[in-house]
This record gives sequence, structure tokens and C-alpha cells, in this order.
Amino acid sequence: MSPAALMRRFGPLLGLLALCAALGTLSDHFLTFDNLINVFRQSAVNALLALGQLVVIITAGIDLSVGSILGLCCVMVALLLKAGVPPALAVPAALAIGGALGSVNGLLLTKLHLPHPFIPTLGMMNVARGLALVISGGFPISELPSGFRFWGAGSVGWIPAPVIVVVLFCVVFHVFLTRTTVGRDIYAIGGNPQAALLSGVPVDRRLILVYALSGVTAAAGAIVLAGRMNSGFPLAGMGSELDSIAAVIIGGASFFGGVGTVGGTLVGALIMGVLRNGLNLMNVSAYWQTVVIGVVIVAAVWVDVVRKRSGEKGN
Amino acid sequence: MQQLLELRGISKWFSGVRVLDGVDFDVRPAEVHALVGENGAGKSTLMNVVSGIVAANAGQMLWEGQPVRLRGPREAQALGITFVHQELALAPQLSAAENIFLGCHPAGRGWVRWREMYGRAQELLEGLGHSIDARRLVADLSLAERQLVEIARALAFRARLIVMDEPTAPLAEQDAEVLFRTIRNLRERGVSVIFISHRLKEVFQVADRVTVLRDGKRVLTTEVAGASVDGLVRAMVGTELSAHVAPQGVAGVVGEEAIRVEGPVRFAVRRGEVVGLAGLAGAGRTELLEWLFGAGTRTGQVFVNGRPVKVRTPLDAIRHGMALVPDDRKAKGLVLGATLHHNIAIASGRGRWFIRAARERHAAGLLLGELRLKASGLDQRVLYLSGGNQQKAVLAKWLYAGARVFLLDEPTRGIDVRSKAEIYDLVRGLASRGAAVLVASSELAELLHLADRIVVLHRGRTAGELARAEATEERIMQLATGGVQ
Repeated sequence: MSPAALMRRFGPLLGLLALCAALGTLSDHFLTFDNLINVFRQSAVNALLALGQLVVIITAGIDLSVGSILGLCCVMVALLLKAGVPPALAVPAALAIGGALGSVNGLLLTKLHLPHPFIPTLGMMNVARGLALVISGGFPISELPSGFRFWGAGSVGWIPAPVIVVVLFCVVFHVFLTRTTVGRDIYAIGGNPQAALLSGVPVDRRLILVYALSGVTAAAGAIVLAGRMNSGFPLAGMGSELDSIAAVIIGGASFFGGVGTVGGTLVGALIMGVLRNGLNLMNVSAYWQTVVIGVVIVAAVWVDVVRKRSGEKGN
Repeated sequence: MQQLLELRGISKWFSGVRVLDGVDFDVRPAEVHALVGENGAGKSTLMNVVSGIVAANAGQMLWEGQPVRLRGPREAQALGITFVHQELALAPQLSAAENIFLGCHPAGRGWVRWREMYGRAQELLEGLGHSIDARRLVADLSLAERQLVEIARALAFRARLIVMDEPTAPLAEQDAEVLFRTIRNLRERGVSVIFISHRLKEVFQVADRVTVLRDGKRVLTTEVAGASVDGLVRAMVGTELSAHVAPQGVAGVVGEEAIRVEGPVRFAVRRGEVVGLAGLAGAGRTELLEWLFGAGTRTGQVFVNGRPVKVRTPLDAIRHGMALVPDDRKAKGLVLGATLHHNIAIASGRGRWFIRAARERHAAGLLLGELRLKASGLDQRVLYLSGGNQQKAVLAKWLYAGARVFLLDEPTRGIDVRSKAEIYDLVRGLASRGAAVLVASSELAELLHLADRIVVLHRGRTAGELARAEATEERIMQLATGGVQ
């Protein structure tokens, strides 16, 4: 592999390691086992959202509704549990609701021929958040059964359950994107939708699936978050669509589509988690943390641009 | 006589690869100078040096006898050098006049003088011998008209040397003739033109002198009057190319009917046969092929192997054994950023869950050899392949998918002479192995060279059909322009 390709593949990972090393020297507490486990746990929801967002961004799309779908699914799963539905049914039901909401995004995009995924997902962002508030009356639905709270707060040995969920989703998404014909179609659609269509790729069906998957990962995030908070909170996930987009972009995917990996996205989510955690440890205020995250997003993409420019060849 | 432009010993490296190697080149005042060479010969790089887009590593540039060093396209423009790019650089939602004066609107005290701008734009366009309304949006203009807007723009910037990079590649033949008139008109006004083309015929139609580049070196500069097509081809490829010169025989065995169309357009293609599709721009060649392939709207009935079929999507077409090699391979044929492997496999394996990577790579590797597709490997991104190799990648995709009916739209557009000959061989090879081939082209010579029969379209209808023996350029044009058969 050429140095440029190596950098593209492992650049985000190197960034993460450098960041960890720097924070390790600045704070005695950062490189402790408990703290690192904590970082993983805190990054889990964003990582889940980012996986769905990644698949969407590979098709050169964007999903602004994941935060709101997460909020609505939080409320729905809490209501189901409160109504006495066992967790073993409520969890798949929440995932199905998320998938259905996501596929509505895809249907709006492909069947109504809306000009850009920005539009249907912006609509869904408002509709889902509104419904979450309507259904819950604006109040959190608290005190969930302990069998359910496992997904957010439990652990197997020393591994937190949310981390297991993230790893499972990562493996499935990685295999899906790299080893299946459908995954290959998705990269082709992002690279050149016209050529994909003329090569027999059922573009509309694939796009509907892509947005449905993004809805499913949002619902998975909702389950983890509701479990951790012990509550279905209608305002959960406000603004987290932007965090998920940031993780995907920091992880090396391109807004122009056709490029992006599960590994990179996971690293992107961890970079954001590590930054927040490290800044917390150094007693940097939450307000300043937001500023730093903003700078990191721009810097990460800028580094990518510089790399590409220097790698360009002429003639 | 004082040369307008003179280049001495220009060399250029890109990441260690020598793209130009001591090239001498000159342009006289009021001269049309053609620049020809295979893809990768260095034509575009040389022109980028002339227009200040890239800086040469060695060599000297003289403008009217004075040495100049260009530090960017703006400096070239200030001297009077304008580059008319292959992909036109116009703003489609602005009028022709606004585009012509983009960046130098006639203005007074910060206000645009619209009346003056439209008046001057109209003068420039009419001076070129065309009656385009300067107020029309560029988006509503044809490709040929847009080129005229670009040329008018060059004149508005007082260009004395206009570089045109393959301006005729996307044009139909009669539009190209209009462009040639414009070029001659420019020469009469004392403007020089550097004209890059893959079609040697055009060099003889329009140029005064011609320079041939090969592998970054200048091989030949000569007056067109004393040159021959064969001589230029030899200079370009370094050897004789018999396939380019000698037309091939009709394919061997012609089998059963593979595909038939009934409606405003009617024709049939049998197995082992190459049928040509001729027609002027706007006659509906591309539309017909895309409709056949399930990617367009049109009325008519398609029969595959004698049975009526409904083709609603490209996937349906592929299931019926069809393959479309589109007119614009970069926009419609390939995923440029993806690997060769991905591009070859993308039309196959649907209905299976998992990719059989090893099997695909084996088969794709064999296809590379068979098609003489030059690439560093299956993991090379097709973006970096030459035009001819990209076209072979599109063909490889369909061969891998097991297509039996090939719909080829402008299969050699923008491809150098050697690759062109190879593509012709491949097309004949497909037919001789029993495929049915339909070739649409705006180059009549190409159709006469390849096709067993030629179907001529006129305004979306069949105007006539000519067997190989009776087909000539004159007869085809007669039908294509709506004249009687």
C-alpha cells in the first residue's frame, strides 16, 4: 500500500493515539483503566448513531433526523415498558420503530424525488421530535425495569454492555459494507449514482434501506441511552445528529460519497469522546469543550484536503 | 516572421514522472496550429504550461520574442492567451452576455451597465457569424453554442491566442463544421488558435500546421498541406496501425434475431452482427439506447429473442442479457473513485448475499489480459486510467456480467488512435463470438468501418437502413438530414 493510502486508512487512528498520549501526559487520571472504560461507555451512543450516519454519508447523503428518532424511540420504548411489555419484546419493537421512521426518510427521498436528503430528514427531525413531546407530554418517563437497564448501565465482567452493543454493530456493519453485494452497491451509489443505476443497481431500494439502517442505529442508541438514564426523555439526543456527522467525517469519510469505513467512524466517535473526557479531567468548562470540538472537526477535514492535494498528479 | 509564441526545451515532471521532455513548439500570428498525440503524450500538460496553469521545470517561453514567466492563468490571460477547456467553464444560470463578461462587467461607479454589456456581447457573437441571443441563459444553449460563448468570452478579454482542448469531441459533425468556420473567422481577424484533436480528418480541415507529440517529446511539426493521415498516425504511434487504415471484412456467421424494436424506430439486430446507428445530434440515438436499456421514457415495443419484453429498469435489461456502454463513460459508465475490481463486478452477482472476491478477482484478471487493459492491478482506481482503458473497463464489466446484446454509444469518443483500433477489434470480436452489437456514433467513418448494416435516424424515427455495400457518407447524410432515400 502506498504511503498516501496508509495515511488515509490509519490517519484518524494515529490522531486518536496521539491525542491519548498527549492527554496521558497532561492528566494522571486519563490513562487509567476505569477512565478509559468510561470513555468507551460515554462514546457508545454517538458511535451507534455514527454507524448509521456513515452508511448514509457513503451514499453522499445526510441524515439530520437521527437525534430526533433517538428521542422518539426513547419515549416509545419507555412507554412500552411501562405498559408491561417485557424488555425482550420492547427492544426489538423500538428497533423496528426506528427502522420504520428511517425508511420513511428513504421513501420521501426516492419516491417524492425530493432534491436532497437534507429536506426529508430535516422534516423528520422536526416531526419525530414533535411526536416525542406530544406522546410524553414533555415529561420524562422514569423508573424502567432492571432487565432493560442492563443495555445502558449493565456490564459483562468488566466490559460495559453498551460497549458490547457497539462492537456487535460494528462487526455487522463492517461485514455488511465490505463483504456483501448490497454493501458494494451502496459504495457505488455514493461514487456515481448514474453509473450505478446503469449497472443494474436498484438505487431507490438501496437508498430506502440505507435510511432505514440509520433509523435502526438511532433506535439502538435510544435503548442504550434510556437504559443508562433509567428514563425515556423526549428531548434526548438533541443535537446528536451533528455529533454523529462529525464522528463520520473525522473518521475519514467524504461528504461527496463513495468513501468511508466502519473502523474510521469508530475512531472518529472515540476521538470526540476522548476529547470531551480529557477536557473534563483538565477542568475545561463544557462551553469551551464545544469550541474545541468545532475546531477539531474543521482541522480533521482540512488535514484530509491537504493530503489529497499533495497526492494529486497532473496531466 | 516574428513568432507569436515560442517554447524552447520545455520539460515537466510530475512526482518523478517525466511528462514533457524538451519540447520545442511555436505559433505564428494568425495561425491555426493543430496538436495531436495519443492520450498521455503530454498535450494537455503542454497547453497547461502555455496558459500558465502549471509551471515548467525547465525551458523557456517567449511571447512576441520576449521571454516571459507565467505565474498563473491570469498572467497568461493578460498577455492574450485564453484556454477554452474541454469541460466548459461557464455559469449555466447566467445569460450568455454575463458569461462573456464574467469578471469584467462593463460598469460605472459600481453599477453594471447592462445595456452596454448586452450590446457588446451581441456584437461579439455576431462577429463570430452566429445569431445567438446574448440574453439567453447558458443552460438553454446547446453545447456548440456554449463553445461559441466561450470563444466570444476569449475575444472580450482581447485574446490573441486561443487554446482549444478537443473542442469537437462532444459535437456532431455539422456542429463541428460550424466551429471550423468560427476558427477560420478567428484566423482572419489575426487571432491564433491551438487546436487539440483526436480526429485527424479535422486537422486537415482546419489547421495550417500540425505538431505531433509522443511520450512527452515532439516528434514532428509540419505544414498540413504537405502531410498525410498515414504519416501523422505513424508519427503518433511510432509504428503502422493496419487496423486503423484497412477496413475489416463483414463478420462470419450471422445467427438468429437477438433484439428487435418496433415503433417510430424499427430495426433488428441478429447474433453475430454489428448494426450501426447514425443520425444528427438530436436525432435520438442516445435516447433510443437508454430507453432500450430501461433508463428512459419512450414508446415502442422491444422483442428479445423474438418474444415481446417489458424493460422497466436497467436491471430488467441486464437480466435479458443487455449491456449499455454509455456515451459519457465518466458520468454514466464508471464509478471513477472506485477500484477496477469494484467497477467490473458491480453489474454481477446480484441476488447473491456475499461477494465471492477470489472468484471475481480471478475472472476480472483474465478479462484485463483479454482486453489488453493496462492498469497497475485490480485495485487501481479507474480515475487514473486513460480514456481507452476506462472504456475497456466498461466493456469488462459487461463481459463479466455475461451480456449478449451490446448497446454501444459513441464507443471511441475521446480515445486515442491506438486504443480506438483496439476497441474496434474488440467490437468485431464480440460479434464474431455471437453477440449482437448496436453501435451509435456521430463519426460516420466509424460506422462505415464497423457496421454490417446502418440504421439512420431522423428526429426520433427510422429514416432508412443501408446495407454495408450501399452505405456511403453521402447516403447516410441524405437520410439523416431528412432527404429522401
